[in-house]
Amino acid sequence: MGTGTDGSVDEMSFEGALERLEAIVDQLEEGDLGLEEALAAFEEGVALSRRCAGELDAAERRIEILVQTGDGDTAPFDSLGEGADAGSGDPD
Amino acid sequence: MEDLFAEPARPSRPLTVAELVGGVRELVEEELGRVRVIGEISNLFRAASGHHYFTLKDDRAQIKAALFRGNATRIPFDLEEGLEFVVHAEVTVYTQRGELQIIVRDLEPVGQGALQLAFEQLRARLADEGLFAVEDKRSLPTFPRRVGIVTSPAGAAVRDVIRVSGDRFPGTPILIAPTRVQGERVEDEIAAAIERIQRQPEVDVILLVRGGGALEDLWGFNTERVARAIRACPVPVVSGVGHEVDVTIADLAADVRAATPSAAAMVALPDGDAWWDQLTALQGRLDRALRGRIDRGRLASRGVHARLLANAPAARLAADRARFAVAREALARTLGVALRDRVDARGRAADRLGRVGATLTPVRRSRVSSAAERLSRAGPRRLAANRQRLAEAAGRLDALSPLAVLSRGYAIAQGLDGRVLRRAAEVAPGEAVRVRLAEGVIEAEVTSVTPDRPDGD
Repeated sequence: MGTGTDGSVDEMSFEGALERLEAIVDQLEEGDLGLEEALAAFEEGVALSRRCAGELDAAERRIEILVQTGDGDTAPFDSLGEGADAGSGDPD
Repeated sequence: MEDLFAEPARPSRPLTVAELVGGVRELVEEELGRVRVIGEISNLFRAASGHHYFTLKDDRAQIKAALFRGNATRIPFDLEEGLEFVVHAEVTVYTQRGELQIIVRDLEPVGQGALQLAFEQLRARLADEGLFAVEDKRSLPTFPRRVGIVTSPAGAAVRDVIRVSGDRFPGTPILIAPTRVQGERVEDEIAAAIERIQRQPEVDVILLVRGGGALEDLWGFNTERVARAIRACPVPVVSGVGHEVDVTIADLAADVRAATPSAAAMVALPDGDAWWDQLTALQGRLDRALRGRIDRGRLASRGVHARLLANAPAARLAADRARFAVAREALARTLGVALRDRVDARGRAADRLGRVGATLTPVRRSRVSSAAERLSRAGPRRLAANRQRLAEAAGRLDALSPLAVLSRGYAIAQGLDGRVLRRAAEVAPGEAVRVRLAEGVIEAEVTSVTPDRPDGD
């Protein structure tokens, strides 16, 4: 999983962002940071928490289906399932 | 064997063995033909050709049986010695050996369905092989980057998974690998879909799901092919096939078995609500921590400011004053006790002074009396130091007072000039001396002088 403190907040995995946020909060709570560092840490923390919240509250879901042609080609999938008469006699 | 056994017999010529056996065979086939016979399998032999040979028996008789490859492959379970079957067969004679035998078309297990038997057999075989070993189960990622679903795109299962995963963690993308989930050779298609989706980037978990159905509808999920595809998959697989009660071979092979497609989505995706709570808590801590840091800074600067003020001259003075007030208070408490003693002492001293004064020169007297007056004026509110000093002075005075000595019976001898006599030699016989007693003075004349210790004595 792409955790880590390098790279931009947006590129982080949810897990990585959350871990980093926790580390920042711990650091802030320990109170060893200078005021400037504390402010910088806080700003990063806010960005991380926004990024995590975004994933938890995703407005647009990404649902795709592998198409038969090619190995990894995908098409958007109609999540209502109506468009899927895709050649299956499945009664479900 | 094409010879006609039914032709008019010619008694003059003996039958060949072939004619006899062939004739029996024809009779048997014509008379019995197709039969259903119930019996137990023993002496099972699987030939490399794919044919099966065994003996069908009950407790009183037995008969040879052959199951040729074409029929064998259509049977879902494996033949197994000791199992009882209803056998659909044709009775015949194996001419070369002259043996009665049955050619088996189909077998039905007694007491259970054929699929059930096949399921039990496959389960036992794969379990023996260790394919379902608990220690080989992989744990699921807490936050899959992408969830793969192997299922029919038209089924209810895929909609269930999409709905539940949206409730759980809507930010996680979903990729569907479509496959038929029932029908002829469906296991190859399912396995191929598993193999295909595991190669897609970021797919960290695969859900193999299908809605409920009869055992034969779920059959694709009860195949060795699918079980092996699941175990060979480098990505952990969650199965959710059928209803709660249905357990398939795929379920047993999967890393996690969920009872239904919805349950599979539940276990595969993190609980967004719980993470919301955690995130909210972290945000709260973040805010408080920063505020705390700022408050600490403010407090620290306030502390420095306070120390600065404390060290300003005026403040120091005030502090000294305060310290002084405290000390004074303590002192006063101590003095409260001491004071009574000293007032008493003062009374005694004044008395003595008065007495001394009476015997002293006017100058001294006036000095003493003014001292006595000052003393009497010394109210209880006068500074203790003065009192102390006065008391000490009175004490010294007391000790120095000749009266104190004289009162014990000593006397002071003085010359007429007033000098105090310390040695007898200081006067000569006939000289007048004054002897001062505790009360009164005697004028006297020296009659003789005796040095206390003459030299050399």
